[in-house]
Amino acid sequence: MGKSFLFAGVALCAFAGSALADCPQITVADMKGVKAGAFPQQYELAEFEGAAGCKLSFAANPKSADLNGKIQGNGALPSLAERLPEEPLVVVPYAEIGTYGGVLDGLSNAPEAGTSDLLSVRHVSLVRYSDDLATIVPNVAKSWEWNGDFTKLTFKLRKGHKWSDGSPFTSEDVKFWYDDMVFDENIIKKPKDYVLVAGERMTVDTPDAETVVFNLPAPKPGLLAHFATHYSQPFMPKHFLGMYHPKYSSDADANAKKLGFDSGYEVISAYYGNSDWTDTPSLMLAHPDKVAKAPKAVYPTLESHIVVAESTEGRHLVANPYFHMVDTAGNQLPYINEIDEVHINENEVRILKAVNGEIDYKSQSLQLPSAPIMLENQEKGGYTVDLKPTIAMPTFAFNVTSTDEEKRKVFGNLKFRQAMSVAMNREEINEVAFFDLGQPKQYIAFSPTPDFVDPKWEKHYAQFDPDLAKKLLDEIGVVDKDGDGARDLPNGSPLVLNLQFATQGISGQLVELVAQNWTDVGVKATVKEVTPDEYRSAQSSNQLDVMMWQKGQPLAIVLGNSELFQPPFENYFGGRNGMLWAEYVDSKGASGVKPPAFVDALLADIDAFQSAPVGTKESNEIGQRLVQNMTENLLFIGTVQAPNPIYHRNGLKNFPEFKTWSYEYYRTYPYRPQQWFLADEG
Amino acid sequence: MLRFIQFTATRAAMAVVTLLLVSFIVFTLMELVPANCAERYLAWKNTQGEQISVEDIRAEEQRLGLDKPYIQRWATWVGNVFFKGDFGDSCILRVNINQLLGEKIWISLGICFVALLVAYLIALPVGIISATVASPALNNGLRLVSYLGLALPNFLLALMIMLFSTMVFGDSMTGMFSKEFRDAPWSWDRILDFLSHAWLPIFILGWSATAFALQTVRALMSDEYGKLYVTAARARGVHGRKLLWRYPARHALGPIINSLGFDLNRVFNELPIVAVILTLSEAGALLLEGLARSNDQQLAGAIIFMLTASIVSLNFLTDVLLSIIDPRVRKSVMGG
Repeated sequence: MGKSFLFAGVALCAFAGSALADCPQITVADMKGVKAGAFPQQYELAEFEGAAGCKLSFAANPKSADLNGKIQGNGALPSLAERLPEEPLVVVPYAEIGTYGGVLDGLSNAPEAGTSDLLSVRHVSLVRYSDDLATIVPNVAKSWEWNGDFTKLTFKLRKGHKWSDGSPFTSEDVKFWYDDMVFDENIIKKPKDYVLVAGERMTVDTPDAETVVFNLPAPKPGLLAHFATHYSQPFMPKHFLGMYHPKYSSDADANAKKLGFDSGYEVISAYYGNSDWTDTPSLMLAHPDKVAKAPKAVYPTLESHIVVAESTEGRHLVANPYFHMVDTAGNQLPYINEIDEVHINENEVRILKAVNGEIDYKSQSLQLPSAPIMLENQEKGGYTVDLKPTIAMPTFAFNVTSTDEEKRKVFGNLKFRQAMSVAMNREEINEVAFFDLGQPKQYIAFSPTPDFVDPKWEKHYAQFDPDLAKKLLDEIGVVDKDGDGARDLPNGSPLVLNLQFATQGISGQLVELVAQNWTDVGVKATVKEVTPDEYRSAQSSNQLDVMMWQKGQPLAIVLGNSELFQPPFENYFGGRNGMLWAEYVDSKGASGVKPPAFVDALLADIDAFQSAPVGTKESNEIGQRLVQNMTENLLFIGTVQAPNPIYHRNGLKNFPEFKTWSYEYYRTYPYRPQQWFLADEG
Repeated sequence: MLRFIQFTATRAAMAVVTLLLVSFIVFTLMELVPANCAERYLAWKNTQGEQISVEDIRAEEQRLGLDKPYIQRWATWVGNVFFKGDFGDSCILRVNINQLLGEKIWISLGICFVALLVAYLIALPVGIISATVASPALNNGLRLVSYLGLALPNFLLALMIMLFSTMVFGDSMTGMFSKEFRDAPWSWDRILDFLSHAWLPIFILGWSATAFALQTVRALMSDEYGKLYVTAARARGVHGRKLLWRYPARHALGPIINSLGFDLNRVFNELPIVAVILTLSEAGALLLEGLARSNDQQLAGAIIFMLTASIVSLNFLTDVLLSIIDPRVRKSVMGG
């Protein structure tokens, strides 16, 4: 206690010092008469100095050198002026200028599951959404410009911006990511949807070190929103990974052998994980014997914090000493020194830790059924729980390309899916699992529902009608053949739905209620909880009867990313269906199962939708067709859209109320976690 | 002496055969888990945007040798385990199992052994005394404690302690290390930190183990204590502690030593549940994860095998120990 008091005192003195500088220490709560800049809650340096009529002087975290010392491969720390870009991003804190220090305690489920919460805390990309979830604002990029027909997107980067090891970050790093990482099939087998426009490649030009130009083969205004919301970061450290890339280094393989790997690509794979997903096992977890010899434990980053230790039990991160943001008093961000991430797969234990105030922030995997116990203990545990609307909603999907041919036939029958949808008692689910706070709904892919969508689709086969369900099942021959009271497949073999779910994707209580609903109309269902890793593996290798995960995206994101409308209708991390249709589309008909006509219509429409300017008659018509095809076919069956809890300890300051509990805008990213600070830790 | 060496050698050979048999059963169980490692490996590759096809899975099966005959695969697995000490890679985490388990299996075995040791240290003297001292208060008290230990499931005990600790101290008492020591190399401080966490699972597991051993010792002692040879010895003038240790206690000890392996197994069986509740990161928790929630057959197989191997070795040791204490054991095995 005495110690933290002392540190707080030192920090206070430091702020008193910076207060001597001319600039007013404005916050979102008190702008002190300074006019807002071009974008909410942040300024470019010159813009801020102009608006406030002052010269900003900079101050660093007094612990910077210590933290830098924990980053493997980092040299001695130069002065702050050499670490910050020439034009750092000036961030306006929400409530007050923060104090440095502390460890942010957080929970994930496993090394690769349920980690996006903490990933989003340290995340950076070229741009991001402001906390109004409507305005896109600069981040790593200083500015951007579209040409008239949305086929050329030009970003200006910050002069003097540096990677976490002090090397310059330039436009070359963006080009390297695009040309040599995501399009090198030795690294990523098949380019992902988000690097393509209408199925084709863009080109990246770098006229100078601070300018990047994306040339698009077709208009795609949503590309910018993609950069603002997606987990992938459109830049990779060329100076480091290039050492192992055969295109840039003739010594790539020799360099690799020195570390004990066979080839340069293997090293890149070990560092990069080959998936654009940041939390793949690092060297420290996957190759602990090779870490000591390696130049770095993880590749350099632009994020606010960098991983310095990793095991199957958790990760530890320290603040990036080269981070590009400062607050309005000129203090380099982030305020929080370290992040400690513990992996816990047990929902009840997570809740217990939350109730005890042992963590600082959590929203991912916290679901409404756990809210009462958390709300009850708020005062005692010294934390706050906000219930906020979700964007995605729990959905169920019957595997239309099941490996079991008989099941495939039944699941592929629209009448079966209609029956299963009306067999769900959404009102009861809402009452029992969601305390009547939710809204029963059919899945229409877009969420929230855009204006062009006829509201009838939200109710399509979403009524509770067990008699209709039974009638539909009878019609398609899913009847009880052996007289045991449970319906069988038309060929006489028993029909049992194995409902394997992970609490990261859907709440257990909801699954149990739906299983009961289905059993009530004669379709037997058993429930088993598995880890998210296992769920995803089983889903990917086409072993599930029923897929269960939350699903739905805002219009802005659909405009940049067409995954929701292409088989398997989302990526590895989301809820999918039609794995063999996807294989067919990917292999251009060489293997897999030919999808029905409505899938072809979806594929054609989504490309056209992304290229058409939003709000036009053309765009609205295509949008309506997309919703109709998606909803009428009930590939995914919606349940109840309900709010979910967001937890933070009261000691965590500058923490605004979030607008939504959602992954879609990348969780905390719009709420600027770099300016969070821990008031009671020093 | 020759007899003894012969006995030990036979016993050792029997242990190896048992281990082979067990490995076969474990391997078969691993095979019964739905889906194989190839599918899991490939499913992960899906993160690269690639769709996996049936051909890909077959090719991966070939690479992993999963297309070979069952017996051959078992032989390879066992061979790697016995001669290289290598359990292969975990299907889900894609990390080498030896590295994944590493110190964890030793931590788990350590916790079990210590729990057992504590149990015997308490149960032996207390059991003997309670069988010989006719004090109703002591007996009833002991009975209450041991019945609680036997009747109260360990997970419930763990939950109650956690609940109590949460309510009173505001600390959930979970984990195996404090966070500053989680990734640190072993040091004196880390050992102390470990002990400050390990006492709780040891206590929880130890309680029921103590109760169990206490009941056994007490029953054996009461049995022996009334026998004629004890009375005869007493008649010869042997009494007090000397009488106790020389005759009935020594006889009562045999079955206890004999059941060491069995007891260890019982304690270890309870460890995963306790470990999950206390979020201990050790082999027991991994086993439950691998078996019940991840379907990670490689990992689960490795842990079960390691556990069985430790039980088999312990049984071997107790057999040798018994044969030293009691020549009749040697004879019964050798048939001479």
